[in-house]
Amino acid sequence: MNYEFLAYGIINTACVVLVAPLFVSLVKKVKAWTQGRQGPSVFQTYYTLAKLLKKEVIYSRNASWITRVTPWACIASILVASLFVPLVYVTAPAGGIGNIILFLYLLVLGRFFMALAGLDAGSTFGGMGSSREMSIAAVIEPTTIIVFAALAFVFKSLNIIDMAGMAASSGTVVAPTLILLGISLFIILIVETAHIPVDNPETHLELTMIHEGMILEQSGRNLALMELSAAIKQVVLMALLINLIVPWGIATTLAPAAIGAALALFVAKGAILALVIGLFESSMAKMRFFRLPGLFMMAFFFSTLIILIEVFT
Amino acid sequence: MSDPAFFDGIVKILFVCVIVTSAYIITTKNLISLVRVYALQSLALMAIALSLAWYENSAILLAIAILTLVFKVILIPYFIATVQEKIRIKRDIEFHFLSPTSSLLISLALMIVIYITLSHVLSDTLAKGSLFFFGAVIGISLVLMGMMVTFSRKRAITKVLGYLSMENGVLLFGLFATELPFIIEFLIVIDLVILILLTTILTVGIDSTLEEYHNRLHRFYLWEEQEESP
Amino acid sequence: MLDLIFQVAILLFLSGAAIAFLGAARDSRTARTLSLVCSAGASALLAIFAFVILVTGSPLSLAAWQPFPGISIAFFIDRLAAFFLVLIGAVAACVAVYSTGYVEHMEGGSRRNLLCGCTAIFVLAMALVVASATTISFLFFWELMAAASFMLVMYEYTHAGTTRAGIFYFVMTQLSTLFVMLGIIMLFVATGSFAIAPVHLTPASAPLVTAAFLALFVGFSIKAGIIPFHKWLPYAHPASPSPVSALMSGVMLKVAVYGLLRFLMAVFTPDLWWGVLILIAGTASAVLGVIYAIKEDDIKGLLAYSSIENIGIIFVGIGLFVIFSCTGFVLLATISLLAALFHSLNHALFKSLLFLTAGSVVHATHTRDIEQMGGLAARMPVTSALFFVGAAAIAALPPLNGFASELLVYTAFFESVTVADPFTKILLFICLALFALTSALSAACFVKAFGSIFLARPRSPESEQAHEVGPAMLAGPAILAAACVVLGVFSYQVLAGFGYHFPIPDLLLVSVLLLLMGALTYVILWFTASHKERTGETWGCGARSLPSSTEYTGHGFSEPIVTIFSSVYQTKKTVTKKYYDEHDCIFAEGTAEIRLLKFFEEYLYLPIARGATRAAGVIARMQNGCLDTYLLYVFVAVVAVILFLGVAA
Repeated sequence: MNYEFLAYGIINTACVVLVAPLFVSLVKKVKAWTQGRQGPSVFQTYYTLAKLLKKEVIYSRNASWITRVTPWACIASILVASLFVPLVYVTAPAGGIGNIILFLYLLVLGRFFMALAGLDAGSTFGGMGSSREMSIAAVIEPTTIIVFAALAFVFKSLNIIDMAGMAASSGTVVAPTLILLGISLFIILIVETAHIPVDNPETHLELTMIHEGMILEQSGRNLALMELSAAIKQVVLMALLINLIVPWGIATTLAPAAIGAALALFVAKGAILALVIGLFESSMAKMRFFRLPGLFMMAFFFSTLIILIEVFT
Repeated sequence: MSDPAFFDGIVKILFVCVIVTSAYIITTKNLISLVRVYALQSLALMAIALSLAWYENSAILLAIAILTLVFKVILIPYFIATVQEKIRIKRDIEFHFLSPTSSLLISLALMIVIYITLSHVLSDTLAKGSLFFFGAVIGISLVLMGMMVTFSRKRAITKVLGYLSMENGVLLFGLFATELPFIIEFLIVIDLVILILLTTILTVGIDSTLEEYHNRLHRFYLWEEQEESP
Repeated sequence: MLDLIFQVAILLFLSGAAIAFLGAARDSRTARTLSLVCSAGASALLAIFAFVILVTGSPLSLAAWQPFPGISIAFFIDRLAAFFLVLIGAVAACVAVYSTGYVEHMEGGSRRNLLCGCTAIFVLAMALVVASATTISFLFFWELMAAASFMLVMYEYTHAGTTRAGIFYFVMTQLSTLFVMLGIIMLFVATGSFAIAPVHLTPASAPLVTAAFLALFVGFSIKAGIIPFHKWLPYAHPASPSPVSALMSGVMLKVAVYGLLRFLMAVFTPDLWWGVLILIAGTASAVLGVIYAIKEDDIKGLLAYSSIENIGIIFVGIGLFVIFSCTGFVLLATISLLAALFHSLNHALFKSLLFLTAGSVVHATHTRDIEQMGGLAARMPVTSALFFVGAAAIAALPPLNGFASELLVYTAFFESVTVADPFTKILLFICLALFALTSALSAACFVKAFGSIFLARPRSPESEQAHEVGPAMLAGPAILAAACVVLGVFSYQVLAGFGYHFPIPDLLLVSVLLLLMGALTYVILWFTASHKERTGETWGCGARSLPSSTEYTGHGFSEPIVTIFSSVYQTKKTVTKKYYDEHDCIFAEGTAEIRLLKFFEEYLYLPIARGATRAAGVIARMQNGCLDTYLLYVFVAVVAVILFLGVAA
């Protein structure tokens, strides 16, 4: 039994669950500031989740076992996926945890269940959300794979935890094209976590909500689980970006002081990234749905260019 | 002072900037951002020339960088932007032969083809993995992408910007593949200034001025009134 | 001892067929059940026998019949053949179990006995193709397989669509046999023997051997359903009964894959461009297969196109294997080959599972159109759970078996960035991006399929009254579903057990972690969250109790993808309007038509068919049935012989 890895698992999961709602509120706060409002408190998401847990769960008459299973499937898959990306402490991976393809497909697992749950209640909002979500996921997938292939080439490893370890132990950025890969990872973050210009979860019109549409029929603790898994997905993708591009400060030993410092540093870096996300979201409008493949084509072009430059020079 | 890995990294990032701006020029429909992106491309080019000047300690490259800065980053975009403001066109949505997505795919394919061709042709003069070779590849790609803009867009102003992008490509190729004498760069810049003048002539007619152009449009009720910008 | 088991299995198949045919006169139900039980038993026996050979690794040789010197029917079962025999046996056993229930609900009276008999012969023929040691026996059993499957496809010959599908299928399968025969003859000319043995290339025979490979490749591609030879699949699979579709899609396509692999590994020494050809054919089939699958609303047509996609993935694995073995990367070649083989097994399992459960659904709702189904998860709970396992497996969700084999393909792609040649590198990047695209699109396709069939409200009265099927129709798919789960979760252990230690993650650990996280969350929420639950109406913007017509349809679900990829579908919309007046103001009537271009049919198959018809018309004039013309031919021939003898002497 690999005790170091077990400790890593416990610490990582605890940090992820603790920090995830904070970043969601931070982005909302930044967007509120740019709109001249004060916005909700940075701890609002915690209060919302606590409130949702106390409410009763209402199921639709048409819903089958899919709606009942989906929140658990989503939270389980995203928690296991969060084990793959180190937040505050890096160690040697065990049992293949950290494989980058498995990470991607655990996210697909959550999305599959969410899309089915959107169709389950028989409402048009959910159907439209599911349909658009699966279409966007299909079109962004080649870009994501090319970015991951570029990462695997730069770090010479297929394991994210290994990559983070390598990045943390080298003094400077491993390769300058990593900064460009950071831009690609940022685009993937925007697409996968339902931000403008891809999706606007703050409206509730069927033409403008994709992620929100699929979870419209969830309520009570199920809704809390879905919101929490979306928040964890965002923090995991942010950690992927931060700990591969600017990893300095991450703990490599199991000392409480080092881990505490790494957590504080991660929250600071994440806050800066949340600020960037908020500003990016506020600077543009949500794009018309059928304009999105053009945007993704540009992202694919960009990522292919990076991998070609990386591989051929 | 001149650390090769550092220089490598900076130039790689700038190469990607140059190609991405060129891809943006091919696909965008917004004419105001078109000029700004062209200015950005010239800025990236100037940065490349500066880094090369630093790395090779060459005064000529420094002079070329300053020339690029003055003309291609500041003067020419300012001039085109002024003309655009006066004639008030904002969008160019018609594509001829190629849609934006297919032009991006074709540019990628072109870059690969040029890489393979140049690795056969230039195999004795330049090492294959070096940055200089890649600079030559990107220069020629930029020329071809600019040419694609020229034939696939219908508005004259977009065609002119495509041609300007081609000139940027020639400059990039020259920086990396050959020793570019200063006089040739100066002559190229004069060419571009003449081109911009010609564009203005095309717009208003060789015998009139911008005011008469406005009056003609007013007569035919073709002028939309706009509030004064603050 | 082992060859005895093999022969007993063959005898069981033959007796199963005989029992079914004998009972045909009296439409005997016991004859059918007995025959299917024999088939199931024989298939299981075959699978066990092959598994023993796979584990021990010692091949088995059997000579059956030698009518002429040099031409013999002989069998040789090594590990490759044993692997495919396991596949055939396992799937056929489950299909036979399912059929015991399904065949009683079919119409056609005593024809059902013929169905059971032909199924037994079909499975036997497929097993003997895989076990063949000489090209002659390969071809003989290939033809037997084609003939048996044609009979099975034409089961409901009274429907017009079925006849057309059957004839189309028959022509394509004969075309495939033609190409395979051509390849075998060219090999015979090059080597002088009909044995499946390595060919030694001499400069004289090199072009002939290359031509033989191309002929064999085309023959096997037609049978496997590679684009552009795929058009028979979407016609034949919906037209045939569900167990037959499961056997054809799950097993028969893999026999074609086996043929290609056997000839590539045992006979030829491949060139690099062969691998590139196979890779490109595989990628094209994968992408186009899933793109066409998304727009289908016939459940079996959707599954047929999805089979084309998965065969494409298998061919991608084979192509990578050839490329890597030609460039000397042995580990990557092994990973790719194992990916192709593992995906063949997985696809056989989950595709037959999907077809069998689709057959249950079609039986319960009396329609194949998914736009008429809906709400079946409440009415057919076990079938919906089994279909869900199949859909999750085919969408490559961890920790099921579809993900395990796609992971192997991805690993081969990602590690291949170290291959030296830049042109190959670029090709591999393009294929990697397209592979990722097909994986994501197949997930979308099966969300649509599962959602439209099982979720929300029923869209037709038949769906409302659907009820769960009998135990036999649940047992067969259940075994397949269990196999999917086991092969996925224990994939690392299974591969390590056969001696392949790849750096792939341990899916058992991942499944344990998933269950652990789920359980942990459940426990935490048990103590912190409210337990109150109730049911209410779906929110419909204030309207009460919305009908099923307001649900999202399957067409609507796939509409964004169809629009994004509209250049592939070439949608044509034609609108004609008629007006009462000459200024076109008062509208009288109009028609609107949306046509998706059937690209391969209109631009490839129909022109070739028309050309063949024209050529046949020309030749028909020579054989016009008139006695005088034939006498004229005899006269001309005699005069020619006399002239030849006179002049040449």
